[in-house]
Amino acid sequence: MNFLHTLEMTVQNLACHAFRSILASLGVVLGVGAVIAMLAVSEGARGDSLKRIQTLGVDNIIIRSILTGPNGKSGDSAGKSGLDSYGITTRDLEHISSCFENVRHAVPVRHLHKTIYTNGRSTDLKLMGTTPEFLDVSRSTIAGSRGRWLTDQDSESLSLVCVLGTEAAQQLFGATDPLGKSISAGGFSFRVVGVLANRQGAQMDASSPLENIVYIHYATAKALFGNFLMSPESHRLIQVAADYVYVSVKETSQLPDTVARLRAYLGATHDTEDWMLLVPLELLQQQQATQRMFTIVTGAIAGISLLVGGIGIMNIMLANIYERTKEIGTLRALGGKKRTILLNFMLESMALTGCGGVLGLLLGFVIASLIERYAGMQTIVSPLSVAAALVVSVLTGLIFGSYPAWKAASLNPIEALRR
Amino acid sequence: MSLIELKDISRRYGDGDQAVQALYPLDLSIEAGQFTAILGTSGSGKSTLMNILGLLDPPSTGAYWLDGRNVAGLDDNQISEIRNRKIGIVFQSFNLFSHFNILENVCVPMRFAGMPKKAMRDRAGHLLDKMGLGNRLTHRPTQLSGGQCQRVAIARALANNPPVLLADEPTGNLDEKTGQAVIQIFHELVSAHCSVIMITHNPEYEQEVHRAIVLHDGRVTRS
Repeated sequence: MNFLHTLEMTVQNLACHAFRSILASLGVVLGVGAVIAMLAVSEGARGDSLKRIQTLGVDNIIIRSILTGPNGKSGDSAGKSGLDSYGITTRDLEHISSCFENVRHAVPVRHLHKTIYTNGRSTDLKLMGTTPEFLDVSRSTIAGSRGRWLTDQDSESLSLVCVLGTEAAQQLFGATDPLGKSISAGGFSFRVVGVLANRQGAQMDASSPLENIVYIHYATAKALFGNFLMSPESHRLIQVAADYVYVSVKETSQLPDTVARLRAYLGATHDTEDWMLLVPLELLQQQQATQRMFTIVTGAIAGISLLVGGIGIMNIMLANIYERTKEIGTLRALGGKKRTILLNFMLESMALTGCGGVLGLLLGFVIASLIERYAGMQTIVSPLSVAAALVVSVLTGLIFGSYPAWKAASLNPIEALRR
Repeated sequence: MSLIELKDISRRYGDGDQAVQALYPLDLSIEAGQFTAILGTSGSGKSTLMNILGLLDPPSTGAYWLDGRNVAGLDDNQISEIRNRKIGIVFQSFNLFSHFNILENVCVPMRFAGMPKKAMRDRAGHLLDKMGLGNRLTHRPTQLSGGQCQRVAIARALANNPPVLLADEPTGNLDEKTGQAVIQIFHELVSAHCSVIMITHNPEYEQEVHRAIVLHDGRVTRS
């Protein structure tokens, strides 16, 4: 009997017991469905977090100033101004820019905590002071015909100009062209000279997205608003040179070395831990490690559910063989070879688990789309997980169908016919 | 040489004190186109003999020639092929596959023989037509009477045109009239040069056959 004949008989057998076949493959259906959905969620989350990390720039290092106590360091030991201070100092900035040969730019960023007004209407947009190199480290661009970015001339002339993020431009001026128009913040009026084009959702830290920011030159910000803020607890002024410093490196391969040197330098020059290093490359590596762990856990769950499904199939196939003993005896009496019976039952169990795999796949798609729709999480069903689910489910049938099929093929025809 | 030649064939089950001698050594030859009945009461060894003749059970001793070939010592594949092509078996309780229609039932031995699909379906249709079931090809066995089922079983046994047809109590589950119709079919097959060997406990069929072999306690008492 050739393979196609056997396959045809297998399909006929399964079709005759459609309900039982569906019940038998239910374990595999649910197992594959759950795994596909879990992988889709994990893949989606991975894509999302990778995108976030990548927008930080894998060749960047972010130094954040941290207010450790209510007043930071005492004014005596810190600044000449006699003010309390914390975080990254101007001296740190200069040292990092000049002494670290692998550093391309060290870009200070000040969040200015000023409400931005336009036409007397307040907005929730953020005002940020930074240097021209920010364009490079944030991988932003100026939209072709929409003006220019901040320049060093702005710093020299202390021009009251600003550049808007795309969302900020939209909020402030709607569909009208913002170039040449003015906004006011902290009692000063700034002329819009450009609009920044960012990738959707790009952000440099946990604060607001780059699209929602109004940018002015760092030197202008310092001249207009000073380099201090009001302590929320003690209501005293505290000096801070930069809330963040974005350090971009020349050679990504030497980034870990630069990070180590930065840690050593900041550790040696700061009495308290009023700084924190955020290394997107490290975050990426951590994320990848977490992802590997998640994949192992998902794999284990997949293995267990397929094991349970496979045992279910084996159980059903053994019951099936018991029920069809006489049929097997008759097939042998009509000239069926052992290997034909073996192949017949193997194909049956593989078809059961294979169909279970396909149904499970559909179930997984449905679950993933429901999660995406109702839980708002991004899900991705990768072609690899689809292929793996199908191959593994057919293999489950092969493995767990082997023993029942062997048992069926080994039946003594006479004893089988007596049943 | 005869179509079937048994030489010193015996069958013993188990070992030692538990051993049961189901069939004592016997010699037997059956010619082509002969209608033979194997008669005997329960436990006489007639089913054991039928299983040996049908290559379902190997004999403990002796040699068996079927259609000129010694079938002793062949492996399972070879035995299955011979069973498929040289022997048709008809069972008392028909043993039809309830989930197949009758055309598919008759096709099964031809599938094992690797016959092309169209030729297989044509032959199955032809055989069922000859059995008077040409208009019921898509019926399932459960939709047919006992006599009709037995005719399907005979058509299935004849699928590969075997020289030997073994029938194990073929009328055992049928009423007298239907049973007689089955015997009539056997007569027609014998006249077409097929050897029919019928196992029965009913001595009345002795009148219908060319030759009766009577068994008692595992020994041939008349042949």
